[in-house]
Amino acid sequence: MSSIDRIGPLIASVVIACAAATPAIAQTAATNTIADKAAVCSACHGGNGVPVSKEIPIIWGQHAGYIFLNLRDFQSGARKNDAMAPTIATLSGSDMLALGEYFENKSWPDLEQPRAAADLVAHAAAVAGSGQCTACHLSGFLGDSANPRLAGQSIDYLRKTMRDFHDGTRGNNPWMAALLKTFTDSDIDAIAHYLGGL
Amino acid sequence: MNRSVRYAVTVGAAALAASSPAWAQETPVAPRYGDLSLVTQDLLNRADTDGNNFLMTNGNYAQTRYYPNGQINAGNVSRLRPAWIFQTDVKESMETSPIVVNGIMYVTTSFDHVYALNARTGEQIWYYAQKLGPLTIYCCGPNNRGVTVLGDKVYLATLDSKLVALDAKTGKVAWETQIADPTLGYSETMAPTAVDGKILIGTNGGEYGIRGFVRAYDAATGKQIWNFDTVPENSSGVWATTDATGRDMHRDIAAEKAALAKDGDPYKKLGGGVWQNPTVDRARHRIYFVVGNPSPDLDGAVRPGDNLYTDSLVSVDLDSGKYVCHFQYVAHDIWDLDAVSPTVLVRVRDSGGTMVDGVLHAGKTGHVYVNKADDCSLIRYSEAMVPQQNMWTLPTAQGAVMLPGANGGVEWSPMAINPGLGLTYAINLHQPMTYTVTPAAYPNGKLWLGGAFKVIAGAEQWGSVTAVDYNTGRIAWQVKTEQPMIGGILATAGGLVFTGEGNGLFKAYDAGTGSELWRFQAGAGVNAPPSSYTVDGRQYVVVAAGGNTQLDYKRGNAIIAFTLN
Repeated sequence: MSSIDRIGPLIASVVIACAAATPAIAQTAATNTIADKAAVCSACHGGNGVPVSKEIPIIWGQHAGYIFLNLRDFQSGARKNDAMAPTIATLSGSDMLALGEYFENKSWPDLEQPRAAADLVAHAAAVAGSGQCTACHLSGFLGDSANPRLAGQSIDYLRKTMRDFHDGTRGNNPWMAALLKTFTDSDIDAIAHYLGGL
Repeated sequence: MNRSVRYAVTVGAAALAASSPAWAQETPVAPRYGDLSLVTQDLLNRADTDGNNFLMTNGNYAQTRYYPNGQINAGNVSRLRPAWIFQTDVKESMETSPIVVNGIMYVTTSFDHVYALNARTGEQIWYYAQKLGPLTIYCCGPNNRGVTVLGDKVYLATLDSKLVALDAKTGKVAWETQIADPTLGYSETMAPTAVDGKILIGTNGGEYGIRGFVRAYDAATGKQIWNFDTVPENSSGVWATTDATGRDMHRDIAAEKAALAKDGDPYKKLGGGVWQNPTVDRARHRIYFVVGNPSPDLDGAVRPGDNLYTDSLVSVDLDSGKYVCHFQYVAHDIWDLDAVSPTVLVRVRDSGGTMVDGVLHAGKTGHVYVNKADDCSLIRYSEAMVPQQNMWTLPTAQGAVMLPGANGGVEWSPMAINPGLGLTYAINLHQPMTYTVTPAAYPNGKLWLGGAFKVIAGAEQWGSVTAVDYNTGRIAWQVKTEQPMIGGILATAGGLVFTGEGNGLFKAYDAGTGSELWRFQAGAGVNAPPSSYTVDGRQYVVVAAGGNTQLDYKRGNAIIAFTLN
């Protein structure tokens, strides 16, 4: 049993506990501003941008278009997540866009993840070249608009989400699923370490 | 230098220049800054004999990319050296064709920034950065291939599917029009074309299940004049089982017909983007363009039929946008070997030896196709310019190998011709890939490929500059390059062709023989089409060196103009 399989359920339970402790973003006069709505997100994604657990992604500094599309997909169920769906159940499309822009204007935090070792870098470069990753995630894996920044993202989150694409658990991007299906566990591990260390 | 100070000085100069009579422009004098009422339709019509300006993305309405000035030639090109280098604010892929009008140069960068520069000195005159919406969904890099000019305006198309008219003297927005919904994958990376008071534009989005189009907008107001859907409501066609070259495409016509009967015509999300400028045929009052791939790229099961007019040459009436004729290079394409390199109108010999008007197109398949302008019928296709193998093997769940890989052949790179030699020049790439099919439902704003293409790690990749005799289809000469090529090429009356590579090398070749006569290391991938122009009687060649997103070539931010020592 890989370390993923041991840690996974533990993380999941933290995430769910995290979400359970958090009220859904309510649509009341008291939570009228986007800053108010965004405050709910900090319970899991971090009050200073550093997420409370390693399998939760950084959203501070992430691209607005990507945040919008995924909030939309969490709400519709195109992307499944037991923590996200109830939290954002009542968000409108314009809320989602506004939240996207709110977080895009924050600074991407430094998780102080180590630079990947040379052999992992070489492995990752070969796989990324084959998959043409920078064609969408752009130079430096900084992304743009609908395509997320990957550089400096949490290694555990990257690994988890790539595996979710690989095995079909994450269903909101068929190109990513088809491509990641062709990656092995060790390919995914190398890429996660490489990107996380950028 | 303080930008606003420079701007104030330039506007003052423009005011002085504008008071001179228009006929003074006929004599060879120093360029008049900012006086762009000179971009008349007559000037644009004569672009093919204009050895001073560079008025459109591909040189002229026929799109020959043949520059009629021989001051820089095979005899002296070894003395070519940088005249100036301008560094833009955006270090990302550059695909812009610089436009030059009376000594003012217009260039664009990724993310839709526009610069007006003094073409003699490289100094900035004005700068405009489009404020893009939060959602831009595009393919193959946040590119922009340039502006077009007409009257006193400069026109730009944007990643969030807008058409923008800027005042040519100041860069201020004159009007802005939303072309289509960017959240569905409609986007623009192409340069527009200006003709007869109209701005012509296609659309990006064939990777996202859009329904493609070519449109004409009013150049003065931005109102739509006509729309041509590149995918008709009846898209089935003739159920062709072979491609233009006669190769069997292994279609299961019975299964497709059953799917059509069950699910109806797939036209609404069939793709068919138009990536680049159309050729304008002034004599026939028509335009010619080529249409990109069907959606989803790799999974044909959900889109039965020939998928008209994807992967086709199409001609429509210039005034009305009404269909005239078409020719489909690859019916029911499931390899993304679509038609993206722009068409060229040129006199060619037909199969009987008679001179006719022909339309050239270089395919991702690796062939240059020569069709009749009159009725779009095929005259001939060239020898393959790149290795071909296992065409047309069907993509599989595990990944099938076929050459060319999905990037081609000839990708978006425009060709150039030398009419005296009867040669067309195409830059090619050889990049082996596997084709995997994985059915997927329409994903609403995400890439809809129905599978994946992967570059075969470790397989040798390279490129070529290939000269094809379009009267015979034979390859006249071919130079292999270290890396796959993407960008563009310029031919000149000096007997030269200019093109750049991802490793930073910008080269001049002898148009007749392919001998390399000059090279320059630009420090970043030279992956854009070169232009040429003349100021104060001195000829320049100019190119962007910003690298490329699709092939991941070293990024840069420079516009480099060269002249003779």
